[in-house]
Amino acid sequence: MTPLTAPEPAFGRAGLAAVAGLIVVWEILGRLQLTIFIPSASTVAAAWWGLVRDGTLSRSAGSSLVSLLKGFVPAAIFGVALGLAMGRFRTLREVLDAWINALMSAPLSALVPVLIALFGVRDTVVAATVFLFSFFVIVVNTMTGVRGTERSLVEMARSFGAGEAALFTRIYLPAALPAILLGLRLGAVQAVKGMVVGEMLISLVGMGERLIYYGNTFLIPELYAVIVSVLLVALVSATLVQACEHALVRWK
Amino acid sequence: MSEPVGIAIARVSKSFGAVQALSDIEIQVKAGEFLALIGPSGCGKTTLLKCIAGLVPIDSGRILVGSRAVSGPGGSEASLVFQDFALLPWATARENAEFGLLLRGAPASERKSAARRALAKVGLAGSFEDAYPAELSGGMQQRVGLARALAVNPQVLLMDEPFASIDEQTRRILQDDLLRLWSEERKTVVLVTHSMEEAIYLSDRVVVLSPRPGKVHRVFEVPLPRPREALDVRASADFARLVDELWQILKRLQ
Repeated sequence: MTPLTAPEPAFGRAGLAAVAGLIVVWEILGRLQLTIFIPSASTVAAAWWGLVRDGTLSRSAGSSLVSLLKGFVPAAIFGVALGLAMGRFRTLREVLDAWINALMSAPLSALVPVLIALFGVRDTVVAATVFLFSFFVIVVNTMTGVRGTERSLVEMARSFGAGEAALFTRIYLPAALPAILLGLRLGAVQAVKGMVVGEMLISLVGMGERLIYYGNTFLIPELYAVIVSVLLVALVSATLVQACEHALVRWK
Repeated sequence: MSEPVGIAIARVSKSFGAVQALSDIEIQVKAGEFLALIGPSGCGKTTLLKCIAGLVPIDSGRILVGSRAVSGPGGSEASLVFQDFALLPWATARENAEFGLLLRGAPASERKSAARRALAKVGLAGSFEDAYPAELSGGMQQRVGLARALAVNPQVLLMDEPFASIDEQTRRILQDDLLRLWSEERKTVVLVTHSMEEAIYLSDRVVVLSPRPGKVHRVFEVPLPRPREALDVRASADFARLVDELWQILKRLQ
C-alpha cells in the first residue's frame, strides 16, 4: 500500500531556488566590496576549500562531531527514558515538570562556566553542553507524546487483558513515537547549537574555537567558511533524524 | 464453535465521586440474545457496558458473564467494539484484527489465520488486509474493529455506539451485516446506542435507562420477525409503531 501523501523532502525545488538566489545576492554584495565583513561567496568557497585541503576543517569538525555524539546520544537515550517515565507516572511528572520547563527555557550558556569548573577546560565540557542543550526538548516532546495517547486505545488494550508492560510497549510507545522523533529532530538542532556555544566558550577545540580564532584575527572568509560548515552539520543532523522518522513512522 | 452465554447483572451500583452513575441495576441477558441499552445522556449506559467488560469496577452488586463473575478486564468471554473504532493507527487492518490475540499470547500463525477469517467475515478479505486505518473509510474501520473483536472468538460482543460516527447509508449496511453475522455466529450481544431505530431494528429487547442516577426504567420487547435484514423490516408499519412507542417512553425521560 502506498502512503497517502509522499513525504515532503527537506529541500524542495523552491527551497533550492531560494538558496541559489541567496548565494547570487551574496556574491554581488561581496563583489561590491562594501566592507571586509562581507566577503563574496566565491572568496568564502575558496577559503572553505583551503581549510578542507590543509586539514583544518576535518580536524576541528572531527573534534566537534565527537563532542556532538558524546553529548547527543546520552541526551537521546536518557531524554526519551525520562520523558516516557514522566508521561506515564503522574507523581514523577508533578515533581519534575517545573524543573524541566524552567531548564528548557533557561539561557543554558550561562551554565557553561559551571561545567568548566566541574570538568576543567576540556572537550568533556562541550559534550556536556550538547547534552544540556538537547536533553530537555527531547524529554518534553516524549512526555507530550505519551500523554497524547488516545484513551480508547488504552481501554481497548486493557479489555483484551493487557497489563502495564504490554500497555507500555504496545500502546504508549508506538503512540508516542512520532512525538519522540520530532523531539529528537529538534534536539539534534539544539545539540549543534550547544556544540558551538560550548566550543566558543572554552575556545580550545572544534569548530567553535575556529570561529573565535578567525573572528579575532579578522580572517573573515575563513570565518564564514566555518559558519557555513556548522550550518551543514546542523542540516545533516536534522536530515538524518528525519530519515529515521520516515523509516519508522510510515503510517502517518 | 463456543456456545453463547448469558449475562446476569444483579443490584449493580457505581458512583464516580459524589455522582451516582448507576443505581441498583438488575438485567438478565439471555444466552444468544441481542439486547440494546438506550437512554438519555447521563443514564450510564456506556458505564454499564464498561462494567460488564470489567474496565470500570463496580461499587456493589454482581455481574456474571456465563459462570464467571466479572472482577477486572481481560476476561476471554467478552469483546468490546468501540464508538471511535480504537484502531492502532500504526498497524495494518490485519495487524489490528490480530491485536487481541497478540495480547493473549497466541502464536503468530494462529493469529494470522484467525485475523484473516475474522476480516473475511466482516467483508474485508484481500487487499484491505494491508491497509492502514487512515486509508480506510469510517465504515471499513469499524469492520476492522468488529473483526478484532470476533478474532478472539468471544461468546459475548459488547458494542459501544459502534455506528454512531458512521454516515447513515453505511450504517444501514453495517447493521444488516451485523444481524447476518449475529445469526451465523450465535453470540450474545449488548449494544449501547442512542438511536431508537437502531435499537428496535437490531435487538430482541431494549432496556431503557433513566438518568441521574442510571436506573432500569423499562424493558421493552421487540417482537419483530427475523431475519430482519432479509424481510425489509425497516419499511414495515410494526417497525414504525415500535420506534414511536420507544420514543414515547424516552420523551418523558428527557
